[in-house]
Amino acid sequence: MTAYTVQMEQLPGLFAAWSAQCQVHVPVALETGFYDFSPWRPGTEIAFEYDVAYNPLKRFFMPPREDMIVFDLETYTAKPVFAAPSILLFGVHPYDVKAVTQLDQLMESGSVDQNYFSRRDAAVIFAMTPLAVSDTAFWASVGADKVDQGFDLYWTKIGPGTFHVEIGSGRGEELLLAAGPLAPATAGSREAARKAQVRAKTLGASRSLRFDWRETPHVMGRSWNSSLWHRKAEKCLGCGSCNIVCPTCYCFDIREEVDEKLKAGHRFREWDGCMLNGFALVAGNHNFRPQASERYRHRYMRKGKYIFDKIGELGCVGCGRCVRACTSKIADPCEIFNALWEESRNEI
Amino acid sequence: METAPVTLPSNETCLLSAKPRIAFFDFAGCEGDQLQIANLEEKLLDILAHVEVVSFREIKTGHADDYDIAFVEGSITRPEDEARLKDIRAKAKVLVALGACAAIGGINCLKNFMGEAFYREVVYGPQAGWYRTYAARPLSAVVPVDAEIPGCPIDRLEFARVVKELLLGRTPWLPDYPVCVECKMAGNICRYDLGKMCLGIVTRAGCGACCVTEGAHCWGCRGLFPSANLDAARQVMDNAGFDRRQVQDLMRFFLGDTRAGL
Repeated sequence: MTAYTVQMEQLPGLFAAWSAQCQVHVPVALETGFYDFSPWRPGTEIAFEYDVAYNPLKRFFMPPREDMIVFDLETYTAKPVFAAPSILLFGVHPYDVKAVTQLDQLMESGSVDQNYFSRRDAAVIFAMTPLAVSDTAFWASVGADKVDQGFDLYWTKIGPGTFHVEIGSGRGEELLLAAGPLAPATAGSREAARKAQVRAKTLGASRSLRFDWRETPHVMGRSWNSSLWHRKAEKCLGCGSCNIVCPTCYCFDIREEVDEKLKAGHRFREWDGCMLNGFALVAGNHNFRPQASERYRHRYMRKGKYIFDKIGELGCVGCGRCVRACTSKIADPCEIFNALWEESRNEI
Repeated sequence: METAPVTLPSNETCLLSAKPRIAFFDFAGCEGDQLQIANLEEKLLDILAHVEVVSFREIKTGHADDYDIAFVEGSITRPEDEARLKDIRAKAKVLVALGACAAIGGINCLKNFMGEAFYREVVYGPQAGWYRTYAARPLSAVVPVDAEIPGCPIDRLEFARVVKELLLGRTPWLPDYPVCVECKMAGNICRYDLGKMCLGIVTRAGCGACCVTEGAHCWGCRGLFPSANLDAARQVMDNAGFDRRQVQDLMRFFLGDTRAGL
């Protein structure tokens, strides 16, 4: 893989060149002590050592609320709406890149989600090897400490002021060289990057599954009747926070609103979540998952089995956002998967 | 990316043919919800093209007794309020509770936790014996309510949306999920992550999590969402280190009339 070495002092020039072409978002430290992606401006201090972005990055490809159609009630006509702002996400951790590539696969299967891809195709992703891990994450144990696709560049900090940058796409290389030629990577910098990535793997394994993540669908298959679903769901607020902060949850509801003249309107989609009571409510006031325990089980079945059955990878990338977001402290996939493995490991 | 316009099937029957007649009423409350409607300004002018306002004392003079839709603000705090509300109910085809006081009882219910002699003295002083008063309650404790626009005050855009839905013959929609959903959509830091108490975990969304977004916490002014798990909420607040008195005070602020056992 082609790679270059970039020095810290070259970054301001690069960011200036990129922000002339698109809106650049970088991880920054918030006043509250958390980190999140924020638009880059000259002088923005990039938090290279961030542990996790507080909010999921899916918002860049699937905003919380997005217009899909505008319609006219007088002429009975409608037009689709697509938005495709050019964005660059700098410093995305591998588990979040993996979440995006998973969304890519799911949004492409069946009926292609044009709204998603119009935004996705206009986005550039610069991945970055993690230098810190949040206390709720377990990404290394679900194989999300490193990715080999889904990025345009892959940055690894190999010294106080030095980065090893692997090229993931032609667009990425073009942007990397936008402010002038760079030194090609040396054998030494490649080795330093490899070591940094191994360190990340060790770092990310501070919490981990007690079994190979590929076993998870089998564990889930044995756990349909587990009493765990009831025990946990008793404490469930049904607030959907675990869904909404999940980088791989993509469910949405569609609604319409007309203007005050009652002449035109728009159809839009909003984030939805399977942990919300109204999610499975259909015509005739029928709810096909009326119990909190059924909704709770469904979420883990999605993450541990249904998604795997579709695309061969877990629907959970181990970012740990749901663990933190759940005020009832019942939404820990690592704990749930381990508990179900433990109680069913002796079954065939 | 633009494609050819799609033709929708004709559906003219959904629009009401005549201009519905609308009236506004208020009981115990600050009339702040009606003020929010006045604050719709130019949007209000567009809406007024589709309706006839026959009574709205905050923005116009005059009154008529034949109305289709009654928007009623305030809670019921005196026995004589009941007769007036029943009369409004009898005249209106649709009765909409406007704001927290009307929809859930709201802060008027704070007095329900005090002795009558005490709150009479606080409110009326030496004239404490002159007025009749009883426990505050929402409209639905007295008459059937067709729709609610909750909040203290109401979200004026939600009011506009509900009115448009009624005009189009649709069932008005309210979010049936808690504020947490909108808080996450807004990208806010959870109050519990900051060691603060917040009622967003049990409160009906629709406000856009405005209080949290502006740096405060949720007070519960929109009432409980339909499947709120109060036992779990109690445990969350307890685990976050808040004592029962703190939890009770916050729960009673707006939710005094609910089944909230806190």
